[in-house]
Amino acid sequence: MSAIVCSHVDKAYGATTVIRDLNLSIEEHEFVVFLGPSGCGKSTLLRMLAGLEDISGGEVSIGGKVVNDLDPGDRGIAMVFQNYALYPHMTIFDNIAFGLRRQKVPAAEIRKRVDAVSRTLGLDPYLGRKPAELSGGQQQRVAIARAMIKTPKVFLFDEPLSNLDAKLRNHMRVEIARLHQSLKTTTVYVTHDQLEAMTLADRIVLLKEGVIEQIGPPAEIYLRPANMFVAGFIGTPNMNFVEVTVGRTGNGWTLTGAGTVLSIEGRGFHLRHGDRAVLGIRPPDLKTAGAAGILQGTADLIEFHGNDALVTFGSGGKEISALVPARECPALNAPVRYTFEEEAIHLFDATSGASLRKQ
Amino acid sequence: MARRTSLPVTFVVPTIAILLVLSMVPTLYAIVIALQNRELSTPDYSWVWLSNFVDLFLDRRFLNAVWVSVKWEIVTVVATMVVAIGLGVLMFEVASPRLRNVYCLLFIIPVLLPRVSAAFVWKFAYHPLYGIATYPYRLVTGGLIFDPLSKPATALFAVASVDVWQWGLFFAVIVLKLLETLPPQPIEAARLDHARRWQIHAYVTLPMLKAPLISLMFVKMIESLRSFDLIYVMTRGGPGVATETLDMYAFSQGFIESGKVSYASAMAVLMMIATVITFTMLWKRVQA
Repeated sequence: MSAIVCSHVDKAYGATTVIRDLNLSIEEHEFVVFLGPSGCGKSTLLRMLAGLEDISGGEVSIGGKVVNDLDPGDRGIAMVFQNYALYPHMTIFDNIAFGLRRQKVPAAEIRKRVDAVSRTLGLDPYLGRKPAELSGGQQQRVAIARAMIKTPKVFLFDEPLSNLDAKLRNHMRVEIARLHQSLKTTTVYVTHDQLEAMTLADRIVLLKEGVIEQIGPPAEIYLRPANMFVAGFIGTPNMNFVEVTVGRTGNGWTLTGAGTVLSIEGRGFHLRHGDRAVLGIRPPDLKTAGAAGILQGTADLIEFHGNDALVTFGSGGKEISALVPARECPALNAPVRYTFEEEAIHLFDATSGASLRKQ
Repeated sequence: MARRTSLPVTFVVPTIAILLVLSMVPTLYAIVIALQNRELSTPDYSWVWLSNFVDLFLDRRFLNAVWVSVKWEIVTVVATMVVAIGLGVLMFEVASPRLRNVYCLLFIIPVLLPRVSAAFVWKFAYHPLYGIATYPYRLVTGGLIFDPLSKPATALFAVASVDVWQWGLFFAVIVLKLLETLPPQPIEAARLDHARRWQIHAYVTLPMLKAPLISLMFVKMIESLRSFDLIYVMTRGGPGVATETLDMYAFSQGFIESGKVSYASAMAVLMMIATVITFTMLWKRVQA
């Protein structure tokens, strides 16, 4: 049985539609990440699951029960907010116990459950303190404890790590992953950080302007993006796009553009002679070549990343980036040549942006 | 160093000096008069030291005035805060943002009225034969007379209602604005934590606003001490001495009934001391 089902869900504020006819089903124990640029409706969708936003159209069910008109407290969910949303005037203990007290759980049981949860999250020493006396990471851990103690059917995370510094973010990400491994609670997690999405998700739901662009496991989204938006959004540094014209030659195909002609077998793609297409190639897939480079130009920007260096060069009037091992890094303004394998390329329709890859 | 700090001193000293003169001279003079036996009818006087104070504690009308003042303070402050929080939360919960603005505008109008005007408006509204506030009673009972301002049991509450009408509604606007400044997430978290609407306010929003609400209460406590004009216009301390607060009694002793200015000054001095001690204690208590 699916833990969460959204069917034909709409959300509109007045005349502005934020989410349009969205269909999604999330399995039990699954960790699903809503990913997308800001304003794509991912947080709104999460808040609709939580009951903090009305559902304008369609139906949302959690655990097999339609929840459209249920209060947030009655949906069997728990939520962790970006800015923690702790009750500032209460001690950590009272913060964690607040929900149980409202449900009239006996005091002895509350004490037992708070102790258990705070031990799991290492909050024992702080139970008597106020939220303001804790660091950001500790506060977020309290927020997670407050969600955990309700033993919900579904965890909702709304950009929980965005307010933390980079180091703490990595640490908390690992903690959330561990927590999910041990609790196995169905989790919906909203983020705009693709690293979080890639590392945590069983499946990623990629949203743009309230519409799902692609749903799939992280590897599938990275390796087989359904369209140019997904291809460009996922992966750092960003994928290079080159407009090309498709030509038929014997039993292969040629792609002409950016001052070069590329011959491919093209078996994996739907191609037609004379079509305009967009060739996508990720910077790490470009390899330094000798005389027989496919793309060539002059290195006009070099960004040192540590192990790697990002080399940007112009080819046929088009900026292209290549991520190469730092020891192969060319000098600034030196001529560079790069090649790549046919398996590494992506081709998209020039007008619709949809992938030309055969399913 | 001395050169650098002299400029602020130059600017501040004259202002402080004027303020000191304005506030200290009458205060000190009141204390001096309180130790004498001056009366308006004669220029002669002599020093009687503390006998005015001794007389005051034997004066049953003074003790009544103390009790009325305490009642007035408690009734107006409590009622104002209850009305302000109740109405503020109600507006926050049920009114749309546009409607809230309309209510805010309406609720600010009473406090903009000069107190004497408000007192006259309500004095007429409470008129037993023509008043709009007593009209429902006449309608229900078929024309029976109800005169809240001339009944000892109701007079204080009738006058207090005007004070609450002015300040409770105004404070309701402030409470609403305070609620609107709160971050929405703790409220949402409380909704997810199974809290009912009233529980959200009782356990989350109002405790978060504890400091500003206490400040509001202090403002109202100080404001309630200065209710002379309202009582003077509406009841003049009557019926009998039912609404005679300390300042009313001091005024009538000093100027209306007997012209005993020294006796009145002694009352004012006692009031000042009591006020300073009470407020200092409360303030310390709140700070702790």
